[in-house]
Amino acid sequence: MISEIAFSAIRISTPLIFAALGGLLTYQAGILNIALDGFMIVGAFAAIAVAYVSASLTLGIFAGVISATVLAALLALFNLRFRAHIFIAGIAVTFMAYGLTALLLQGLLGQEGVFSSDRIPTFPTIDIPLVKDIPVIGPLVSGHTILVYLSYLSVPVVAWFLYRTPWGLRVRVVGEAEAAAAAAGVKVDRIKFQTMALSGAFCGLAGAYLSLGYVSLFAKQMTNERGLIALAAIFFAKGNPYWTAAVALLFGTATALSVRLPQITGAAPQLLQLIPYVVTVLALIVVGIRTTRLRSRHGAWRFEI
Amino acid sequence: MSVDALAAPKSRLSLRALIRPIASPVIAVVVAVIVGAILVVALGQDPITVYWTLIQGSLVGWPNLSTSLQYTTPLIFTGLAVAVSFRAGLWNIGAEGQMLMGALAAGIVGYAISLPAPLHVLACLVAAGLGGIAWAAIPALLRVYLGVNEIVVCLMMNPIALLLTGYVSTHLLKAPGPTNKLPDILDSAVLLNFSVFSQLNVGIFIALACCLVVAVVNAATVRGFEWKIMGLNPRFAYYGGIHVRRNAIAVFLVSGAIAGLAGAEQVEGVYKAYYDNFSPGYGFDGIAVAMLANSNPIGVIVAAFLFGTMNAGSAVLQMMTNVSKYLVQVLQFIIVLILAAQFSLSWWNRQRSGVEAQAAPSAKAEAEGDKAQGAV
Repeated sequence: MISEIAFSAIRISTPLIFAALGGLLTYQAGILNIALDGFMIVGAFAAIAVAYVSASLTLGIFAGVISATVLAALLALFNLRFRAHIFIAGIAVTFMAYGLTALLLQGLLGQEGVFSSDRIPTFPTIDIPLVKDIPVIGPLVSGHTILVYLSYLSVPVVAWFLYRTPWGLRVRVVGEAEAAAAAAGVKVDRIKFQTMALSGAFCGLAGAYLSLGYVSLFAKQMTNERGLIALAAIFFAKGNPYWTAAVALLFGTATALSVRLPQITGAAPQLLQLIPYVVTVLALIVVGIRTTRLRSRHGAWRFEI
Repeated sequence: MSVDALAAPKSRLSLRALIRPIASPVIAVVVAVIVGAILVVALGQDPITVYWTLIQGSLVGWPNLSTSLQYTTPLIFTGLAVAVSFRAGLWNIGAEGQMLMGALAAGIVGYAISLPAPLHVLACLVAAGLGGIAWAAIPALLRVYLGVNEIVVCLMMNPIALLLTGYVSTHLLKAPGPTNKLPDILDSAVLLNFSVFSQLNVGIFIALACCLVVAVVNAATVRGFEWKIMGLNPRFAYYGGIHVRRNAIAVFLVSGAIAGLAGAEQVEGVYKAYYDNFSPGYGFDGIAVAMLANSNPIGVIVAAFLFGTMNAGSAVLQMMTNVSKYLVQVLQFIIVLILAAQFSLSWWNRQRSGVEAQAAPSAKAEAEGDKAQGAV
């Protein structure tokens, strides 16, 4: 029972971790990217549509990643080139993506709410040779699909790029002190564009996993605010990749429990689904109190976004 | 920035200045319609038929028109709520959550208390306003006293409101029966419905009255002026002696109250009970409306009507053609995206500063002022 929940928590957390990794790259570059859901839904739709037509999972994943990246580039274009407020543009892109995928779902695939087909191949599960024989951990870690492993392996890779490469240093400088970065010769807009595009790519993977790996169907608005939960994880962990992934796993577990526990105990699922959001607000309060104490009450100007 | 920008609007009472606030929304709508037409053609349908169906299904004949007005009403409330905060440079995007809390409060007061008719309606409205205020107070206080980004808090408060109201309406106070809703509100709490074809009710007059009140406050009171200056330049407002914190909280609470009234209108006028998850995203459409209206309360009425008709027409579109109703959502948010961008304004300013080369510093300052305004 518990191992079953833990196993499904690892699966459920996969899109969260992908999306959180994408979001934290922009977070580190100082962009409040709230369009994660929009990138994901487009990725999910393109992935399943291409996989359906071509009967190839690889092509499906590629389509998901590319389309989400294109959408991210559009958002970056509007934000960086046309100076649209990132938040308004982000909301517009998200809802546009929701609408567009629902429109294309009916227009191209001829379905109104949900699309699934036998032609879409499923991912083979991977049994890791030695690990699967370890008593408790083995069955949990082994037997997932490739995208699940990819998501967890991406965490140290992203961390390495952020903290061990010149590019990562530039990203973090842009996020912390944009003017200083520009003065030091860093091409701020280019860095921001790159992080946004990568954010789109990761969200494309998240979307592809949602529609191809997790359930093998597409439903309108199927991301179910996972992008928001990923954002919550990022804010909770202040953008550190390892902590963000850990928090995303925690929130994923809460989601897994919210599906399972009510079936057993009859409790309300809503109360468990609340956890990510409430925890994040509480964390923001704690951080706010700490920074307020640090700053002098009268000296610091705190009325700017 | 300071004196130049404040004096500027008076000195520019030309035709250009009159056309300019209308020009960019019109351009945005036209571009959205063109992009939409390309999409429709790509899907193998006839764009003229689609747009004609959309217009006919929402505007031609009183049944269709009254449905459009029914869909307009909540958007006036939420659009106005968002516009009030945008104008003051605050990002209250929690209108969805505030509306849900207002609706829940109205739904509970509507069935749990019995009062004579006009009083009961009033009690429900007050309860809804307080519900919205309570939900807006959280991001407001965090923003002002702890410096927490209100966008993030609002983003989190929306799903919290949805899940909490869902918990109340599916478990705590659920009406007997299969539907997830509260018990029906009493007849004394119902907002009068004056159309047999739709759920259009007197709530629309409350919405219009709210717009007028906000317009008067904006144009003719000190508070309205202070809020505007806060939106243009919070630092300037602060050093000019405006109580920025107090005003910021006031703006948030007013905004939340108006959003809460949207919930009351839906519960008392349209559904006659609180239904779980009743909103198709009126709070988020409110952001679009406020953007299109450029945070002008009278503009909100026009923008809400445009979006309301589009929403009403989309249902007809879904029935009559092979094109999904979500075409309308795509159009609406293309409009928002274009309006959020400032390429038209920056182009305009470059033209202006080119012409008036001597006035370059002030033109630049204006451009910055425009940027602040445009961002708002």
